[in-house]
Amino acid sequence: MTRNGLGGCALAAGVALVLMGGTALAEDPVKIGFVTELTGPWAFFGTSCVAGLKLADAQINPPGKRRIEFVTIDNQTQPAQAVAAARNLDVQSKVLALSGPTSSDTALAMYGYAEQNKVPFVVPVAAFPQLTKPGSRYTFRIEPDAAGWGYAIAQFVAKKKPGAKIALVYSDFALMRAIAAGLKYSAAKAGLKIEPEIVFPQGSNDATVQAAQVLAAAPDFVVPIGAGAFDNTLTNQLLDIGIKTEQVIHPFGITTQVKNWGKRSAGSYYGTFFDSNLDELTPEGKSFVEAFRAQNDRPPSYLENYCYVTAHLIREALDKDPAAADDREKFRDAVAGLNTKETTSGIPITFDKNGARKEYMYFMQIQDVDAKGYKAKQQFYIEWDPEVIPVYDLVK
Amino acid sequence: MSNSTIIIALSTITTGIMLGTIFSLVAVGVTIVYGSIWMPNAANGQFFLLAALFAWSASVSWGLHPAVAALLVIGISVPFSWLLEILLVRRFYDVPNRNISYFVLTLGITQVLTGIFSVTYGVWSDQFQLPPIVKGVTFLGPFPIANNRLAAMLIAALLLAALFALLRYHRYGRALRAVFQNREAAALRGVDVRAIYRMSFILGNGVIFAGGVLFAFAYAVDLTVAWTMSVTAFAIMIIGGPGSVVGALIVGMVFGFTQAIVSIFASPTIAAFSYLGAMLVILLFRPSGLFAR
Amino acid sequence: MMPKLTRWWPHAVFIFAAFGTPVMLSGNRYFAFIAGITLISVLWSTGMNLLYGYTGLMPMMFGGIAGVSAYSTIGLVAVGWSFWPAMLVGSLGASFIGVILGLPSLRLRGFYFTLCSLVIQTVITLGFVYFVNLTNGDTGISQIPLPGLPGGGRLSGLAYDLVLAALAVIGVILLTLIVNSPLGRRLVAIREDDGLAETLGINVTRQKLFAFFIGSMFASIGGALYAPYVGFISPRSFDVLMSLNIWLMVAFGGRGTIWGPVIGAVLLAPIPFLLQDYYTIKDVVYGLLIIGVIVLLPAGIAGGFKRAPRAAKPAALKPEPAR
Repeated sequence: MTRNGLGGCALAAGVALVLMGGTALAEDPVKIGFVTELTGPWAFFGTSCVAGLKLADAQINPPGKRRIEFVTIDNQTQPAQAVAAARNLDVQSKVLALSGPTSSDTALAMYGYAEQNKVPFVVPVAAFPQLTKPGSRYTFRIEPDAAGWGYAIAQFVAKKKPGAKIALVYSDFALMRAIAAGLKYSAAKAGLKIEPEIVFPQGSNDATVQAAQVLAAAPDFVVPIGAGAFDNTLTNQLLDIGIKTEQVIHPFGITTQVKNWGKRSAGSYYGTFFDSNLDELTPEGKSFVEAFRAQNDRPPSYLENYCYVTAHLIREALDKDPAAADDREKFRDAVAGLNTKETTSGIPITFDKNGARKEYMYFMQIQDVDAKGYKAKQQFYIEWDPEVIPVYDLVK
Repeated sequence: MSNSTIIIALSTITTGIMLGTIFSLVAVGVTIVYGSIWMPNAANGQFFLLAALFAWSASVSWGLHPAVAALLVIGISVPFSWLLEILLVRRFYDVPNRNISYFVLTLGITQVLTGIFSVTYGVWSDQFQLPPIVKGVTFLGPFPIANNRLAAMLIAALLLAALFALLRYHRYGRALRAVFQNREAAALRGVDVRAIYRMSFILGNGVIFAGGVLFAFAYAVDLTVAWTMSVTAFAIMIIGGPGSVVGALIVGMVFGFTQAIVSIFASPTIAAFSYLGAMLVILLFRPSGLFAR
Repeated sequence: MMPKLTRWWPHAVFIFAAFGTPVMLSGNRYFAFIAGITLISVLWSTGMNLLYGYTGLMPMMFGGIAGVSAYSTIGLVAVGWSFWPAMLVGSLGASFIGVILGLPSLRLRGFYFTLCSLVIQTVITLGFVYFVNLTNGDTGISQIPLPGLPGGGRLSGLAYDLVLAALAVIGVILLTLIVNSPLGRRLVAIREDDGLAETLGINVTRQKLFAFFIGSMFASIGGALYAPYVGFISPRSFDVLMSLNIWLMVAFGGRGTIWGPVIGAVLLAPIPFLLQDYYTIKDVVYGLLIIGVIVLLPAGIAGGFKRAPRAAKPAALKPEPAR
């Protein structure tokens, strides 16, 4: 090519690049950093969450809308790793917002980073109350806080049997302690008695002796809050010793838990926020259940639902204010001002000034469990404002 | 005695036996390997977990009867240990301070297994429950006990008895004890020391696998069980005296019972503190362990 | 007796690397963070090296001591102390507690001590979870404030990294000085055979205690600085796995050498962060790396390159060590 020809080519190429660059900017996907537990003790929760998130991809990215892309990073269920990942996403990938953790410790570690560095942080599953303590500005928690679950249980029991005696047995982990704190406070206010209260250290294996002690106290209801497999052991040993299934109220029940409780737990209650057996599943909710079941060989529960819903929430915030796609403050305001519903169940989503959601809970009763899934019936539903109990004082 | 008291008493006894036998099994497995080839097996918890998870796969995913699954798992442990011995373990038999090298090696194996579990079992579920070997419930007076648990206790106790008999009366057991005490002297007496090393590695791991399977029958399993078991097994081994099978057995049973008994009167956490405290006290007075050779 | 000046050249290289790396990475907070964590690991592994590499004690409660210091420092800051005196008091306190807890087990030899300290670590972790009023239990402590500076303002960013670098450097220099001093030689004698050392007139228990105290100080100071750097701690930050990871850096890097553990820390500490994208195989890679090194170099990386120790007794004459 002659020199002039080269120059002409360069000019043309340059113009083409600028044009492409100009249009490319408008098509650049919005990046959301998704830091979750893909290895480590909570690997199951993180990977399930991502499975739910992926199912939302088609709906939240229809042709014509600016694409939302989730950049997923594993935090190994380690707070230091979560902070590093948050930093990576913030500084290197310059994401619009952070999301992802299912475990409270990783969530709290990221919370510190997010608030300090003014990065919007939408927490899909971690339930720790302190994530929205007064003064929080950038953090939004989708799942009702754990102390609130305790409140809900107390209301449920008070309605079933006023003045009842509840045996409370739990593992010494953050989530369980928060639920217990909420329950104890609310039970006192509702005229219920908590006796006995038994706390297991981490790493416990056997609860038979404690089950015998619970039986001896003759409670009306038993609320077992074990951690991991110990939850299952605890439940089985309570039932072995002679506690009736209808006396057992599990604070939370994801699919694998219910399946492991098995047929023998038919009649027991569990709390949840989304279940394949809910009465009011929307059509989208039903197709979500079917799609998830087809892909993962089990029905989804609230864990996968929240991650699915988080994707929709982010889409809605961006639709509401397209300028928010490139501006963290605008995005934060857009989310804070949302007044919408979960697409899968119709439950309203609104956030208070600290980023806590108006909260709710269902209680289901297990009817049957088989290899593929389980049947449960909705028995109770309650909504409440997060600060109906002094949640930020109860759990520090 | 009121019914409640009887129930609490019997639950304490059965819990003591159940926890005690399983912990004893694992501790015995660890101590056999440490006593003979001087290997502190940091991966013992992962092997324990591997056995439990594999038994779950065999019985839940493949539909085998739990008893068959158990035998399969313990059977698989033999080639598994044999392979490890050939590839990795035997390289260190003549290395000075091999206990340190072994500790590092087994930590590496722990990481590898953790990584494998993370992307397989860790993703399939957060907890694993085996179907019972035997269904139904037996009543000991007013105290109901799941037949499954009874079966696990019985099998564990029989296994321990068999191990004890093997080591005390069988020719192999005597050779093993000779090697524990002094390998040069044992070699002079015609014992094939390397063969004994191999056998003890396989036996020790087999026992740990058995413990894992029995645990899975008695309790539900999740991935965190591994480390708790490792630490406990080592603790029992030191208190009992490294290399002492009798020590591991007795201390394991005491361990199980102390937990159960103290938790009648105090919270389970105090029970945990109490037996850990007891261990430290014993170490103060008998630093080489209760039954050290 | 200090070694000749020319023998300090590796230290010069290290000083340059330690301070240079954060400066080089200062534009990138993510990599700088990893460098910072690595520097703390160097400090920790050097402390562990003093205890394990040179005194022959493998303290599995290293993490617990770091944790006690971290929690104490945070507690003191929360009631109004300035960070630096809080760190000093917290570290000294934690080291004293470490010595008291370790005291009964210091009479134990070699691996017995290790396994005993494992039990002690378990007790400490249980304590962290149980004494909720002191540590906030399993929930952990989040939004830990950055250390305040004397002139006002807070230590952050590059300045924080440089402080960590300074401590790592001081730690290595301190270890070098100790190793080359009479104290160091006594410790090595104890490591090789403490029965023999006793007969030579060395007060074994006292030397061990002293080494233990200094090693614990390394752990404590690292712990106190780790907490604000990450911004979140919980009982799981300072559990037995943490102790094992630090120990691994020493054993992997080569115990009984100054630089082995530093190499170990520099190699092993960043791996979990750098392999975040390859999370499915990360643990397996880490494990295989460890297995590979120990099979090829049973004495660790630096140990493999070291010349044979001067006073080594022939293996045949060495009695089978007491188990």
